[in-house]
Amino acid sequence: MTTYMDIISIFILITSFALVASKKITSYIKAFRIQSALLAMALAVMGYFHFVESGRIDTLVLCALIIALKVVYFPKLLNKTYDRVEHKVEKDFFMNIPMLILLCSGIVIFVYFIISGIGSFGNEDVTMQVVNMVSVVLIGVFFMITRKKAIGQIVGFLVVENGIFGAVMFGAEGMPLIVDIGIFIDLITGILIMGLMVFKINDLFDSINTNKLRRLKG
Amino acid sequence: MSLSDNEFIFTLSILLLLAGAIAAIVFSRKHKAANIISNCFCIGASALGAVSVIRHLLDGGGIKQVFTFTSNIPLIEISLRYDNLSSYFLLILFVLTFAVSIYSIGYISHYYGKRAVGVFNFLYCSFILSMMMVMLAGNLITFFIAWELMSVTSYFLVVFEHEKSENVKAGTVYIIMTHLGAAFIMAALMIMYALTGESMIIGSNGLFADIPEAFKNLCFIFFILGFGTKAGIIPFHIWLPKAHPAASSNISALMSGFMIKTAIYGILRFTLGCFGVSEVWWGTTILVLGIIAAVLGVAYALMEHNIKRLLAYHSIENIGIIFIGLGIGFLALSKGNSFVAGIAIAAALFHTMNHALFKGGLFLGAGSIQYSTNTKDIEQLGGLIKKMPLTAIFMLCFSLAISAIVPFNGFVSEWLTYQSIFAFLSEGSLGMDLIIILSAAALAFAGALAAVCFVKLFGISFLGLPRSESAKAAKEVPVTMLSGMGILAALCLAFGLFPRLVLKVIAAVTSEIAGLSLLENISNSTIPICSGISIGNNRMSMAALLVVIVVLVVAAIIGVRLTGGKGRSRGFGTWDCGFVEINERMQYTATGFSKPIRIVFRLLYRPYRKLTVKGEIPEYFPDKMEYKVGTVSIFEKYIYDVIIRWLQRFSRRVKYTVQTGSIHMYLSYILVTVIALMLYGRLF
Amino acid sequence: MGYIIIQLVLMVGLAPLINGIIKKVKAFSQKRKGAPILQMYYDIGKLLKKEMVVSETSSWIYKAAPYVVFGSTAAAALLVPAVTNAGGLNAAFSGGDVLVLLYTLALGRFFLMLAGLDTGSTFGGMGSSREGMISSLMEPSILIGLFTLGLASGSLSIKMIMSESLSKVCPIADPVYIIIFFVLVIVLLAETCRIPVDDPATHLELTMVHEAMILEYSGRQLALMELAAAVKQLILMTLIVNIFFPITAVLPAGVPGVAIMIILYIVRIVLLAVVIGVVEVCIVKLRFFSIPNLAALSFILAIIGFVNYFVIGR
Repeated sequence: MTTYMDIISIFILITSFALVASKKITSYIKAFRIQSALLAMALAVMGYFHFVESGRIDTLVLCALIIALKVVYFPKLLNKTYDRVEHKVEKDFFMNIPMLILLCSGIVIFVYFIISGIGSFGNEDVTMQVVNMVSVVLIGVFFMITRKKAIGQIVGFLVVENGIFGAVMFGAEGMPLIVDIGIFIDLITGILIMGLMVFKINDLFDSINTNKLRRLKG
Repeated sequence: MSLSDNEFIFTLSILLLLAGAIAAIVFSRKHKAANIISNCFCIGASALGAVSVIRHLLDGGGIKQVFTFTSNIPLIEISLRYDNLSSYFLLILFVLTFAVSIYSIGYISHYYGKRAVGVFNFLYCSFILSMMMVMLAGNLITFFIAWELMSVTSYFLVVFEHEKSENVKAGTVYIIMTHLGAAFIMAALMIMYALTGESMIIGSNGLFADIPEAFKNLCFIFFILGFGTKAGIIPFHIWLPKAHPAASSNISALMSGFMIKTAIYGILRFTLGCFGVSEVWWGTTILVLGIIAAVLGVAYALMEHNIKRLLAYHSIENIGIIFIGLGIGFLALSKGNSFVAGIAIAAALFHTMNHALFKGGLFLGAGSIQYSTNTKDIEQLGGLIKKMPLTAIFMLCFSLAISAIVPFNGFVSEWLTYQSIFAFLSEGSLGMDLIIILSAAALAFAGALAAVCFVKLFGISFLGLPRSESAKAAKEVPVTMLSGMGILAALCLAFGLFPRLVLKVIAAVTSEIAGLSLLENISNSTIPICSGISIGNNRMSMAALLVVIVVLVVAAIIGVRLTGGKGRSRGFGTWDCGFVEINERMQYTATGFSKPIRIVFRLLYRPYRKLTVKGEIPEYFPDKMEYKVGTVSIFEKYIYDVIIRWLQRFSRRVKYTVQTGSIHMYLSYILVTVIALMLYGRLF
Repeated sequence: MGYIIIQLVLMVGLAPLINGIIKKVKAFSQKRKGAPILQMYYDIGKLLKKEMVVSETSSWIYKAAPYVVFGSTAAAALLVPAVTNAGGLNAAFSGGDVLVLLYTLALGRFFLMLAGLDTGSTFGGMGSSREGMISSLMEPSILIGLFTLGLASGSLSIKMIMSESLSKVCPIADPVYIIIFFVLVIVLLAETCRIPVDDPATHLELTMVHEAMILEYSGRQLALMELAAAVKQLILMTLIVNIFFPITAVLPAGVPGVAIMIILYIVRIVLLAVVIGVVEVCIVKLRFFSIPNLAALSFILAIIGFVNYFVIGR
């Protein structure tokens, strides 16, 4: 199983690089969708093994939830929001893309340096996967920092969530189902509110450029 | 479980207070019912509580458990218990609450139909309950919870009349100061717990005494800073004169009468009770702080013309007097002189009780004046003695008591303090004689200035001619308010005449907290019925003195009658130097009254006067002239204003450099923090 | 009991004489004949019979004040034994010590100041305000002075302080005592409104203190007020003569001894009164706001006396 998992986790990391490298909003929503799909795939593999070993189906339920929410619903919602607010095309990021990629690689190396030093994971096999997933978390935050548009921040936030979820899943074979469902409900509320806020920001500033929020400061 | 069972009565009194709080909310629609029912519960609770603690103390005391709640989580443990020290402070609280609650029945009536009386009474009961909890707190966590609860409930009571902006401002200053103090207290409590793992403070296993000296000293500094803020020790006093005028008078009475005393309790509980006194400089610090507070407190009070602010400054003075007693006691303990320490600590505890009685009463009196004239400014008053004769008599009693004039209780506790100073000095050279004698001088000076200040307060507001329409229209307050004040006035006189009644109770406390025997040292069997105290060769008996004065007054009346016959007298206007009839505007004002002192101590007061002339050509054709005199608080100007300005400058810099308003900046802070934490985890 | 009555009669009866003597000394220095020495007795007798004019503004405080002031001052007079020898000390009233004495006098002063404010007259307020300032400035030095004497004799009780003086050969030669003596003299001049502080002879609103407070009084009330002021003056003088100039000769107890002591006491008091009169003649009245300097002087003297006690006195 470890091999499959390793491969999937690397793909997830690569999608997050794709995310950082994409210029247009639609393209990074797409990258996020692929990343979520990969996550669902990993879950499906794990769920299959669980089902075979002990007859548990909770991991499969979770997989279905991920597909429903992160692969289908959120990207659709984001696309719809984008269609309704965005009219003009402008530069969406602070640094040029090669620089961003370089920095992201730096993050991965840094995380590897950190995680390899801890070494307290019960299972040495998962170290690589955890490194990848924690890198996804940090890259997600980094992504949020570098994008100007509010939708970028939402996607970045979702990627952070993906990373945390993945780290837990790979590192400790998932949390109890009830906790995960709780997190998902939180996430849905969060995303809905953020979506609403995007409209509000658009109304107020005629743009969803979060740089303009500076003006709100007293 | 009967009424003869002390713990049962005590628990009953707590339950009654809770019932009072609930009743206030339940009846909140009907203002009058809410007020009367809730206050009746408070009266009952305090009466029962007082009976229970007096019996406890006279039975020899010990530790009694009231309530415990334990949980599996370490430190989350509520323990309510009391020992002799707590009982004594609880006694003060109950006596004060008893009188104040009776007073409140009448006083709150001016809120009917205007304000949420139910909420007020709920807060009132909770405030009393929280102060009780501070006294009852058996362990560190309970103490801190109760302490914060007390601060929060009192804050709400201070800002209860929140539509006035100065009240909100006063509340803000109060909550900031009190939380600064609480932070220091919390730090000290955490140090204590971290070093010993012990959390019981009442009936502790003596583990706190083993804390290394350096940490004890650190804790002591924190306690002085923290409790000093609550007590209003100069220079942490600035909230007191702001918060008291903002709160309604019955709350001020409780706050000044008891809440600031919880600081005295805290210092005694944590330093004497938990650590024991070991360092000489502890006593010296307390003594010096006491001297400063006593003298400056009364000096500032003299310049105030708002009754409640004036009284608030007097609270600072009296806390200073209590601190002088405590300081002498601590010094004596560190020198191993238990005789002097017993007298000094007894004096401090006695003064704590006395101050609760007369300052509580004075605030109630101020409330009565406000109730019938609607003003707190004594320059607007005058002639009230004819409109409110009973209030005037009570106020006169309280004024005499706070000025430490015979035969009232204030004198007895100051006398005891003087005696401890004297006894300590006559023990021999201790290297600190000069500070100790200065504390005696400070006491004398503060007492004399207090007398001047209360002559001003009483003379300007009750005597002479009314200075405003509202003072002319004043009426005597309802009987409940009068009886609330009357109880306190009677106690002031009774404790002055028979001080041994109180000292008997205090003896149980001093023997507990420091193993000091008191009664053998002060008893005097030759003077009957608990009236006399004798320490060494020094004796005092207020009852005997009062008898002598009364006999002499009667003799004077008879003598004058015998020599001069029946006196003829004629009413006439006050002498006007032959000009037109004098009116109320020609009377001496409070400002004028305190002017000589303002000029003598101008270095302290920084008086200023400003004349503004308005008009088209103000030099020649003035329409209106405004003359303003005032003083500048050097503490606010040179300490607090400087700190605030520095803080503002710092905040402005933060606003432009750190808190930029950019989401991306904030997100990078998160990233940097996460990375830093990861690095920290990896490297260390 | 009999002794206490003697003490009371002596203090109250002798008090007006002092004023007469001081006035006579001043008149003598000015080459005047002056009023008779007993003038104040005549005044009081006359005032007692005269009609009172009571301000309509005043309240019961105004009427009660003369009695309270007199009662408390007379009670204070009982605390200071005039006859120290011949068993006088043992028989004296012991309701309190030095502190009780000070605060009993404070009771009288409190009512005196209130009475000044009660009539709504500006003079009264002015007098009260000034009296308040002077008395509070003097309080620390009188306290430290008496504390030092108390330390030297091991007790704050006035009797013990006086009996300690009796046991010394010549107390005024002791450096501690001589410093405290000057302190008490300054206090005496200030507290009884004598010349560098207040001029009892004038009724000028710019200067008067005590006279301003009792300006409205007339008739028997005025008599009591004046008498109380004189008694207060005598109390302080008695303290000075009995502590610093005691009669150390052993006298028999009983009536002859006490009679001799009373005569000796009167002689010493009269001598002190003459000295005060001379002092008043020789110095001028201070500006009101120079009084703090005088108070500071007495405070510093008191502190020096205290330090002296610890350095050499023990």
